[in-house]
Amino acid sequence: MIDMTADRAPEGGSLDVIAPGRSRWGKIRYVFGQSKSLTAGTILVGIFILIALFARFITTHDPSAVLVGDPLTGVSAEHWFGTDKVGSDVFSKTIAATALDLRITASAVVSALVAGVVLGTIAGYYAGMVDLILLRLLEILQSIPTLLLAMMVVVAIGPGELNVVVVMAFIGMPYYARLVRAEILTKRTWEFAEAARMVGGSATRVAFRHLLPNSLSPVLAYASVNAAWVVLVTAALGFLGIGIEPGTAEWGSMIARGQTEIITGEWWVSVFPGLFVLTLTTGFYLLGDGVRDVMDPRSRK
Amino acid sequence: MDSGLSRQLFTRLLLVAPVVFGVVTLTFLVARVFAPDPVALYIPPQADEELRHKIRVELGLDKSIPEQYGVFLADLAQGDLGESTITGRPVTSDLWDRLPATVELALVSLTFAIVIGVPLGVLAGARRDGPLDFSVRGITLIGMALPSFWLGLVLILIFFVILGWLPGPVGRLPLGAVAPEKITGLYTLDSLIRGDLTLWWESVRHLILPSLTLGVVIVAPITRVARASMVEVMRSEYIRTPKALGIRKQVIYFRYALKNALLPIVTMIGTIVGFVFTGAVLVEAVFNWPGMGKYGLDAILKSDFTALQGFVVVASVTYIVAFFLVDIVYMLIDPRTR
Repeated sequence: MIDMTADRAPEGGSLDVIAPGRSRWGKIRYVFGQSKSLTAGTILVGIFILIALFARFITTHDPSAVLVGDPLTGVSAEHWFGTDKVGSDVFSKTIAATALDLRITASAVVSALVAGVVLGTIAGYYAGMVDLILLRLLEILQSIPTLLLAMMVVVAIGPGELNVVVVMAFIGMPYYARLVRAEILTKRTWEFAEAARMVGGSATRVAFRHLLPNSLSPVLAYASVNAAWVVLVTAALGFLGIGIEPGTAEWGSMIARGQTEIITGEWWVSVFPGLFVLTLTTGFYLLGDGVRDVMDPRSRK
Repeated sequence: MDSGLSRQLFTRLLLVAPVVFGVVTLTFLVARVFAPDPVALYIPPQADEELRHKIRVELGLDKSIPEQYGVFLADLAQGDLGESTITGRPVTSDLWDRLPATVELALVSLTFAIVIGVPLGVLAGARRDGPLDFSVRGITLIGMALPSFWLGLVLILIFFVILGWLPGPVGRLPLGAVAPEKITGLYTLDSLIRGDLTLWWESVRHLILPSLTLGVVIVAPITRVARASMVEVMRSEYIRTPKALGIRKQVIYFRYALKNALLPIVTMIGTIVGFVFTGAVLVEAVFNWPGMGKYGLDAILKSDFTALQGFVVVASVTYIVAFFLVDIVYMLIDPRTR
């Protein structure tokens, strides 16, 4: 058996290509040195992951308990983000919601990525009729404005964490599929793919073992943008009252609950959960920019 | 228009048709097959089977799904989107009545976004990594990350609750005010035509916060695309030449470079025109703006599947048409794509 690895083209996103001949730690430092966005994004998203992991230690009160303080008291040492109209602690709810929103985001992005990448690889490699039909179907999915599609499907299949994840994955999937398809379509005739075919690699092997790894960089950059989108749409669905079951600590529904209080001046109920949404999505966009900076040498200084 | 161009337009039209058909079918399937039983929502649970059956027959729900689909398509072909179960009026007239509110909101925000976004993106991209570029990149990044509905609430907090400069979220006019007689349906225009300056001023004041909210959300992607496209163009040789010739920078940026950077910007504006209905759902919900987005949202919340179906079909077709128009604009401004 010929050593197949020798025939493989270098992987676009591998640290060896970006920073050859350095120690592992040196490579990582070099990569982060390439892009401030990458560093800032990693730190922001990292903080949110830590908050989500240690949510139960950070919360100062039981997030689902009512009347842990007087209703609608402002920011204080006892209630860092104040309390809402049923006397729940806004800080604890916001922290608890971080875990929920990140869980939804991670599951939706991973599912959309895997499904989209598999579909895209199939469409790109087999081309012809399969490609044509898949592409038309994806185009139809993408022609319905995403928030409307999400609203419609969530109402149809009912609220709940799993349902929101399914809908987000379903809507995100076409973008991954199209990205991968375009990459594979251009690379399937390149030498390294020809070589893999020549030494007897089956179609599936060539497509998934050789072409796919070489087409993943734009997918990774997109995954981050997709994550930001999932956070925003999950919050939007929660705000409209159709995503997660009413009453759950979720950023969007928390913002909706504080809507009337905004008018009466108790701003903290809505403002803090919104700041969390804003910071996390900013983190994901920075991360996406950073990944693109590092992977596309042309956008580097 | 030469024959080659019109033939190309025709080919594109042929490609658009199956997508429209697919969208219509998908909308029907989601609304009709998966949606909760509309009959159960309108009659008390103790109603007998006979009454239920009568309502089903009235709504055409006694027929099989393929039959209902046939009826739906036949009606749609005649421009009939069915009757809303809530308002009891044809969905098309409901949507038609609410169209001007959304158009007024969209026009103002889109104008704001283009007038601010394009020049800002061009200048930032032309002097890449300069101080302007740095601030533009940072601000637009936050603009992309902002949840529009939350931004709306924050603006209400600042300009209505704290400063008291602008009205709260009560819709297009103060509570109790009578709308100007309909000419275009755009209150700011109609009141001006009627010469009612007090009403005009009120309609302008009510329009500021909603359109600012929607405007901030759409100015960010326009600026970013304009910037990225300019960065790309500034690298090319036909920019180096006039630079070497010492032609004024503003002329280079806005006459030579912008023309070549225009395609991605036009695409983005097309996407945003298509997106306006989606953005409008959230912004209209926050400001109680009686437009099409609010109508679609109410339809969802009240499980009015005919109205919902009609709204999604109209929104999706707008989206597809916007992209089709982008294609045409492409062909008109860039001979290379013909």
